[in-house]
Amino acid sequence: MPAPPAASAPAEAVDQSLSPECRVPGSKLYTLARLKAVKAALKEKRPVRVLSIGSSSAGLGASASYPVKLENALEQALPDVQVDVEARGLPGEVASGAGERLRSMVAEVEPDLVVWQVGTNDALARVDIEAFGEALEESVKWVKSHEIDIVLIDPVFTESLADDAYYTEMVRTVQDVARREAVPLVHRYAAMRYLSTRGTTEVHMLGRHFRLNDLGLRCMAEHATRAITLSLLQPDAAKLDASKTDGSKADALKADAPKAEPTQAGAPPLDPAQTGTPGSAEKPAPPKQP
Amino acid sequence: MREPNAIDFWRGFALITIFINHIPGNVFERYTFSQYGISDAAELFVFLAGWSIGLATRGRDGKPEPRLTTVLRLLSRTVEVYRAQITIMALALAMIAGCALYLDNPLILEWHNAGGFFADPIQTMVGVVVLTHQLGYFNILPLYVVLIAIAPAVVLIGRVSRAALLAMSLTLYGASLVFEWNFPSWPGEGDWFFNPLCWQLLLVLGFLANEATRESERLRHLWRSLMPLGVVIVAVGVVLAVLEWRPDPMLAPEPRLVFTFDKTYLSPARLIHFCGMVLAFQGVYALLAPRLGPLARFLSGLGRNSLAVFSMGSLLSLAGQFVRFQTGGVIIVDVSVVGSGLFALGFTAWFVEWRSRKPRPARKAPDAASPSSA
Repeated sequence: MPAPPAASAPAEAVDQSLSPECRVPGSKLYTLARLKAVKAALKEKRPVRVLSIGSSSAGLGASASYPVKLENALEQALPDVQVDVEARGLPGEVASGAGERLRSMVAEVEPDLVVWQVGTNDALARVDIEAFGEALEESVKWVKSHEIDIVLIDPVFTESLADDAYYTEMVRTVQDVARREAVPLVHRYAAMRYLSTRGTTEVHMLGRHFRLNDLGLRCMAEHATRAITLSLLQPDAAKLDASKTDGSKADALKADAPKAEPTQAGAPPLDPAQTGTPGSAEKPAPPKQP
Repeated sequence: MREPNAIDFWRGFALITIFINHIPGNVFERYTFSQYGISDAAELFVFLAGWSIGLATRGRDGKPEPRLTTVLRLLSRTVEVYRAQITIMALALAMIAGCALYLDNPLILEWHNAGGFFADPIQTMVGVVVLTHQLGYFNILPLYVVLIAIAPAVVLIGRVSRAALLAMSLTLYGASLVFEWNFPSWPGEGDWFFNPLCWQLLLVLGFLANEATRESERLRHLWRSLMPLGVVIVAVGVVLAVLEWRPDPMLAPEPRLVFTFDKTYLSPARLIHFCGMVLAFQGVYALLAPRLGPLARFLSGLGRNSLAVFSMGSLLSLAGQFVRFQTGGVIIVDVSVVGSGLFALGFTAWFVEWRSRKPRPARKAPDAASPSSA
């Protein structure tokens, strides 16, 4: 388990419950929030239906395993619970109508939880960031209004976009929406950024940016599961919820900090506070929800 | 080469609208008619395709051609459209891969849904060829292949009884809406973006509209007199679009698809709106053509060679997206991209017609008296 970082420690310890290649410090990985619908499903002892929405490779290749992995990881983390993951791709941009298709998909599948990888298509299409932010917030509000939980996964990190102001703004917008709507967020951008600074002997025939992309896809299921299971441990008290929101605000700010960090290999910045406090004290397999 | 006419004109118009809409985020997108109603250029395209099938399967004198000729003609058209689809898929995938390599940016591979192909080429290659795996924005041609493939049945049944054709088509449409039937996507979960079981109704309506109005003066008169109704429907559509009012799919009563504005299943609302547009704008070409000669000729040229222009348009809009990605979506970029795209489409139309106008003269067989065989 990660030890609380001392002031003199050069680096924050990584989350040991992830597999070795995917280990990232907790604060770089997730912002937590309550998941009421999933908790209700667990209480009622019925299977948890998850709708996983990806941009395009959902269901194929390196991420072919993503829905299966997500299902297995969730079932492992929540013993005696059956999880059904339905994976769909959502082509098109949120700012121009993908929200409509999302609603149709949700109405068709009727899940307890939506895990939504968002922002990549819009970033590629260079849509107006405000329009994207508004459309995203509307869609998240709509999902929540129907008593369905939603977890957001922010866009992919890749080296050639590391200094792209528009792209970073897009990532920040996703984080802002997640914070305002109090939904869990998987900080894929920050996590992959962290992973890109680690040396590795792994080689991809097209270069290290493609390797990182592959790695990111492989780790996504684990990262998402981590965020989900930790969020399920969030206590129901509103007061604690408020402190989590503050913690996630600090986390969102820290997620911006890597932007200033040099991209060559170096120690990640010291994080005095870790979001997901249960993470520092919990056991590897969280107990089943009553 | 046909004279400029209403069908080709509107088809050219649909093609340009589709081209602009396939460069998302560009400044001209908000001026396309798709933003001011709940149906869009895809409906127009399929309806006009149905209409032209009616025209194509009759001889010059308007008499229906022999059945076998119809079947063979439509079969050869199906092959042509299929060939175009496979070609542009290959080119599009190559463009996406090339751009990702050039920019050293694996994110580009996600474009247009192509991430699936690069992640798992084995299954996806098969899916591409059997049309069950479609790239985003490249969904119309697979629909078109299926529709033209069933077109012989449409035409032949229609010759026997139009009422029967309409009834069968409506039944299939209704059943698909209620029971949520669709062609599956493979690999990957989900269904086709354009559901052929529902969109076939538009093709049939286009076909029947042509058949009905060509023969009966009474029906033509009825068609014209419904124009005010069309205008009302269009106005309602504008209001709905501007206010962004949409039915919430979770709250819609069962059967859900009958009450939402669903593009995949061609919900009744979209169908009605489109019919309203057809009624409202039926006379517009006749009004515009004498005043806007060059424009009418340009658009008609595009419409005459719709397959080639659509194919080029798809690839050009993809290229336009790359340009906008690299340069950041400034107005001057949008204008140049759309402008050069329109120019290229016009050139494509001209080039295709030039090729058919200049066939190679047949070689004469060498005869015994010529020197070369001595």
